[in-house]
Amino acid sequence: MLHPQLPWFVAGPVMGLCVVAARALFNGRLGVTGGISEVVTKIADRSMSLDWRGFFVAGLLLGGAGFGLIAGGPDFHGYGWLTDTFSSGAVIGLILLASGVLIGYGAKTSGGCTSGNGLSGNSLLSPASFAATATFFATAIVVSFAIEALI
Amino acid sequence: MSTRERAAGLLIGVVFGLVLSGSGMTSPVVIRDGLLFHSGYLYGFFLSALATATAGQWLLRGRGARALLTGERIGWKQERPERRHLTGALLFGIGWGVADACPGPILTQIAQGIPYGLFTLTGVVGGVWLYHRGHRTAEDVEAQPAESRQVYAGS
Repeated sequence: MLHPQLPWFVAGPVMGLCVVAARALFNGRLGVTGGISEVVTKIADRSMSLDWRGFFVAGLLLGGAGFGLIAGGPDFHGYGWLTDTFSSGAVIGLILLASGVLIGYGAKTSGGCTSGNGLSGNSLLSPASFAATATFFATAIVVSFAIEALI
Repeated sequence: MSTRERAAGLLIGVVFGLVLSGSGMTSPVVIRDGLLFHSGYLYGFFLSALATATAGQWLLRGRGARALLTGERIGWKQERPERRHLTGALLFGIGWGVADACPGPILTQIAQGIPYGLFTLTGVVGGVWLYHRGHRTAEDVEAQPAESRQVYAGS
């Protein structure tokens, strides 16, 4: 990381307040995959009448771009273990593409990603979200240790 | 969907994107450090976000509040775990552990000008599209009136 990291006890609660804001304003369930899904299905239906979740995704992009502008550039160079291990950009691109398919299909199947199930679903004390969150955290931890052991 | 609702969605997104970037979650190295237990930041961040979201939403529901923009009474259904919650989360966890980015950070990577995120986002869009394609076909068959389904099945 190239920029000073916000303390977790500041960043975390603000993220939590975003979930509360969506509930207070729309009685909605905040989730990034839900927003991406809204954009994908509307485009597939040749409609551009996006609801608040589609605009949430647009805002997320604006926020990320705003951070880049304020900080004077992206937060990191290279791409973690992938650029440390592989020199071919095509290989890295393919690995990221395949990971993306698993992320998108998996999040839709399980009802949400780290935000939709991890934050929103768990905060509603939904047993399905507990099961999904425990599964994806455990899987990602095992995968990370497996990569560490192999490379 | 009113302009006010869209503007509110946009604003929540801006705050979410700024703080997600400021927390370092955009960086695959920070995520990986968390998943390998080299740093407790990811867990402090996640659990404090979860505690805030839980307290705030249950407080709203307890007060019988109505949503400010839609007028809906605040409430929700709790879902029972099904097989799909485990299988989907397993696939998601593999992707997250390899790419060290989930959907929010993938978007903020692209917004910050990190081109690698474009590969991951293309995959996510493809995965979401595949899911919808599969489920839309099933829903369309369900949505057909019983008579026409019989005719179709018989033909």
